[in-house]
Amino acid sequence: MHTYEVFLKKDGRDEFRHAGALDAANDALAEVHARETYIRRAEGDRLWLVRRDHVIVADVDFVAPNADKPHRHHDGAAVAARRKANREASE
Amino acid sequence: MDAFETFLDGGGIVEADDDMPDDYRRAVFAFIEMHANSELMGGLTERDWIPKTPGLRHKMSVLAKTQDEIGHGHLLYMVAAAMGVKTRPQMLEDLFAGKSRFHNVFHYQAVTWGDQVAIAFLVDAAALASQQAVFKNCSYGPYRRILKRIISEEGFHMRLGEDRMMRIAEGTDVQRQLFQDSIDRWFWPALQLFGPDSKPDDKLLRWHIKSERNEVLRDRWVQKFVPMLHSYGFTIPADDLFYDEATNQWDVGPIDWEPLKKTLAQGGPDSARRITEASNNWNRTAWVREALEQASATVPA
Repeated sequence: MHTYEVFLKKDGRDEFRHAGALDAANDALAEVHARETYIRRAEGDRLWLVRRDHVIVADVDFVAPNADKPHRHHDGAAVAARRKANREASE
Repeated sequence: MDAFETFLDGGGIVEADDDMPDDYRRAVFAFIEMHANSELMGGLTERDWIPKTPGLRHKMSVLAKTQDEIGHGHLLYMVAAAMGVKTRPQMLEDLFAGKSRFHNVFHYQAVTWGDQVAIAFLVDAAALASQQAVFKNCSYGPYRRILKRIISEEGFHMRLGEDRMMRIAEGTDVQRQLFQDSIDRWFWPALQLFGPDSKPDDKLLRWHIKSERNEVLRDRWVQKFVPMLHSYGFTIPADDLFYDEATNQWDVGPIDWEPLKKTLAQGGPDSARRITEASNNWNRTAWVREALEQASATVPA
């Protein structure tokens, strides 16, 4: 038996999403099992199955540094404030 | 634990491979395992009714519902197994050995089609209300995500139950009496599914698994189903039932919790037969699992 992770997508809409997991003896049986467990009511028309032991899981600490990079964003507030100041100065 | 509880109070979500206190892991696992067991036991009962269900329309809905319930069992056993407390086969072995719990309502026998209707109408509604209260604010991410799909399917089941109830309520006197007998048998077990009043130090509430107290959910169910059953001309099997004019609330009177305690100790009216049947079913299908193991050993994945 292998554990497979199940990903579904509706054609033309959104991205593939993780739906859950299942145990199956091989890839062909995993497809049958996924169809009957996760898409009984057409929750997706595209199906990806990935064996869990083939999934590369990055360490949380490796991912974390990019949560603290404010200089990679610009929310527009500083620009809006300058525009407003300029507008008021010219009135 | 203090830091972990602060994290949970702040809306923190726990994932399967995160560090978590052992008490939390065990409590959440036990809760999901009981839910998984209940879906499987419920699915097996539903399956028993496929040949006996009257009419093709109802029969097809029972087929679909059986597949849903067994499917929910699969989903939940996968989520539970990923917590690393027990494997999926261990959970099944414990269930069939009578060592683990499943919901009280599956410790009773469904004798007539009326019982199946009462179960779909009263019990599924109670189960759905409990699941929705968990889904609302569940701190364990994998459980919350899988509940979303389970709840949407349980919604179909409840509507099916109401549909069946209305058909039987609009039927002959014999049909109506059949259903009244079923209400008399299933009202209290359905109400007891919510459990006794939550304890002040309930861990599942503190750790944001449950979002509402048992008595609150139970009372909401009473306020909905008592008037609904009355409106179809059925009676409620509660001698002390009264309507409190001051609060505009129905009160079912004191609740005898002994039957619930018995089911939790596998001593319900139908516990032994149910567990034996489920266990026999597991043994009868061993050849399928063996064939699959064989296939995974010989066929390249």
